[in-house]
Amino acid sequence: MIKLLVIILPVFLAATFSAHADPAITLSVDDVRSPVLNAKGIQASLTGPKASLLEVQLGEVAVQRKVWRDLRFSCHKFQVADGLIRCDEGVLRLASSAPLPVSFRFSSRHKTLDIKIRTASNEGSEDWRLSVQWGKPIWEGMLTIANGGAARIAEFVPIGEKEILPTPVTGKGKINGAIKLHGDAGGLAGIEADLAVDGLSFSDASGLHAGEDISGQINAKAQREGSEKAPLWKWQADASWPRGEVFWQPLYFAGQGQRLSASGELNENIIRILDGKLVLSGIGEVDLSGVIERPANTVRDFDLSADNLELSMLFSRVLKPFFVNTPFAELKAAGHAGIKWRYRNSAHELLHINLRDVSVEDERERFAFRGVNARIPWEVQGADKIHEPTKADIHIQGSELGRIPIGQLHIPLVMDGLNFNIPRLTMPVLDGELTLENFSASPQADGKLQGWRWQFSGGLSPVSMQKLTEALGTQPMQGTLSGEIPVVSYNGSTVEVQGALLFKVFDGTVLLWNLKVLDPFGPAASLMADVDMRNLDLDLLTGTFSFGKIQGRVDVAVHDLELFNWKPVKFDASLMSSPGNYPRRISQAAVQNISSLGGFGAAAAIQRSFLHFFDDFGYSKIGWSCSLRNGTCRMGGIESEPLQHGYLIVKGGGIPAITVIGYNREVDWWELVSRLQRITHPDAKPVFQ
Amino acid sequence: MGNPVVLFRLMLLTLLSLMPLPGYTQANIEIDTPAIASLKQSMQQRHNQLEPYYAKGAIGLTRDGLVAMHDATALPLSARQPVNALIAAENQDRNALYREIARANSHPEWEADIRSIFGQRWIELARSGWWYQNASGSWVRK
Repeated sequence: MIKLLVIILPVFLAATFSAHADPAITLSVDDVRSPVLNAKGIQASLTGPKASLLEVQLGEVAVQRKVWRDLRFSCHKFQVADGLIRCDEGVLRLASSAPLPVSFRFSSRHKTLDIKIRTASNEGSEDWRLSVQWGKPIWEGMLTIANGGAARIAEFVPIGEKEILPTPVTGKGKINGAIKLHGDAGGLAGIEADLAVDGLSFSDASGLHAGEDISGQINAKAQREGSEKAPLWKWQADASWPRGEVFWQPLYFAGQGQRLSASGELNENIIRILDGKLVLSGIGEVDLSGVIERPANTVRDFDLSADNLELSMLFSRVLKPFFVNTPFAELKAAGHAGIKWRYRNSAHELLHINLRDVSVEDERERFAFRGVNARIPWEVQGADKIHEPTKADIHIQGSELGRIPIGQLHIPLVMDGLNFNIPRLTMPVLDGELTLENFSASPQADGKLQGWRWQFSGGLSPVSMQKLTEALGTQPMQGTLSGEIPVVSYNGSTVEVQGALLFKVFDGTVLLWNLKVLDPFGPAASLMADVDMRNLDLDLLTGTFSFGKIQGRVDVAVHDLELFNWKPVKFDASLMSSPGNYPRRISQAAVQNISSLGGFGAAAAIQRSFLHFFDDFGYSKIGWSCSLRNGTCRMGGIESEPLQHGYLIVKGGGIPAITVIGYNREVDWWELVSRLQRITHPDAKPVFQ
Repeated sequence: MGNPVVLFRLMLLTLLSLMPLPGYTQANIEIDTPAIASLKQSMQQRHNQLEPYYAKGAIGLTRDGLVAMHDATALPLSARQPVNALIAAENQDRNALYREIARANSHPEWEADIRSIFGQRWIELARSGWWYQNASGSWVRK
């Protein structure tokens, strides 16, 4: 601006002296170039009495490569005298903004320029004042702002820089403070800003980047170093944010005294951040450094480290939005964490996490981990393939999965880039142990599939059923649960068991095969499986359910089982006495209960006959089947003993023997379940032999 | 404004009628499985929370049968994150619903067509004043 005026000045002066009483001078310049400022499409006219009416139009002005377009300036009280150019009632019009009242004084003798913008509105007066003084070789300036409208910043921001602000910006708020500038022939050489903002609000059109009622203090300094051709700016900044709120999709923060201080360098190509420190109230302190590439403003390198972050606030304020729709969306976390993150050449290189006395609890009580202490040093796989995998050390004092308590755990996690392995993990479950072997997890190899895939195998050493049922809060059962777990894998949408899960329970075996869980972490998880149980000890089984004692053994098959929300939707089930020789006795109470499924008749019949003198009876076979479809169970009995009417449930044998026949073929499943619970079925009639 | 739950039930009822899919045999969109019933129930419960945001224009219906933020400025800043979470949960249920209906019809490959039909029908059944995306993807107020 200064040099431009210096260039133009002689033209005006010469014209003024040679003009008539009411001179009319017009000046049209296509292009003006100077080291500080370039301008195009300049039109100026000086008219009116004593040449007091100045009109200037600038098609484009570029200062330090910052571009403004369509500037118009008019002045109704323009005076030139004794090396002083002054305008007391000027109006500046920037493209698409309201006219600004501007006055200026330019003294070629004192080498000073003073520009004032003062507006007055219902919201009070607003002052922007720029004073510049120059001499060889340096010049200095000071911009003083009193109640400056924050929206002006958006107006004054040059074209090409607006992308750093939410677009289009609508803003309000007041700025107070001063910015000192100094420069030399090479242009601006130093800047020092001391600003306070109050009641600042901004928003882009979508409202996804917005702030409201923000107050804060910014102190910044920058000094130009380096050669004229390759200037390097060294800068230092401090900002504090005591009040207001910001939503920057997907994060929301309320100002609570957060502070940021940083220093660094800036040149044409990069912004370098050194010694950055971010103080997040309630969370902790974070050290930052990095390199941002210009003009795209993309992060190339970044380092973040923090020793002692308060996890509960960190999770609820920062991490939670990133876990939406995952099993971790409804977590409560507590404890302390340390983090070190290194990002180089636009790629993650290192992430070290330390957890100290951390607890993590699912608010829906699906899982909980307590007393977690971990050191997780993750590093990216080396491009040269000679990178060594790193090992995480994770100790968990206690956990719960569902309602099942898990004892102390040590997880030896091996990390090779994004491939995670646990060679062997032993989890104390009640009085037994669950062992996981060869656990591996990695991102989907197929680009079409999202998320992760994992697999493991393992086994369960005997867990007391009594303790397990106690923990689950279900019917107490006797015996133990143990088994082998073949390969279990997850492909991003389905958990599948390759092979069969084998458990030992009620002194028999349970084989679970074709096991699949569809969409296990989604809203419509469903389980499919086939189950074959062999040689279950009825004595243990019936003792468990207070059903009345039955001696013997049964095989149970449940095929095409489909569960949704852990409730059966479909299956073909059958129960049949196991082959082989073993004592077969059924107690009066059990007969009464089985036949009570068919009403009071059986119990009454026993009571009426001499059979009530006996505590138990002989039988040769027990058989029952149920096919569940659309909520209805279609029942049958011993298949090899078809009856003309009804179906045989208990075939008598020995002395005294007893036979139970069912007549009702179809029953609503949930009604049957509730009847089984109440044992009050009306239609089955016992036949005594 | 009416009871939002009643409105939602009405919408589902109208939606879940037999609808022919172009180029296929008729798909039973009314098909009911425990998974579908559970998703419907979950969506129905959430609709109570979503309804005022539809009415304010904060959220709208997309042409691919989902819900999206239309104008976050209609919400206080502190509500924008919870509404985002609500939208994400609703879309997870909607995606699962379309997949389940296709699967229950034993034609998982019909999912895209079922989604598209639902997308059109949600918009047809939206209350006046609600926002939706038209065929070209622009937001339109009903």
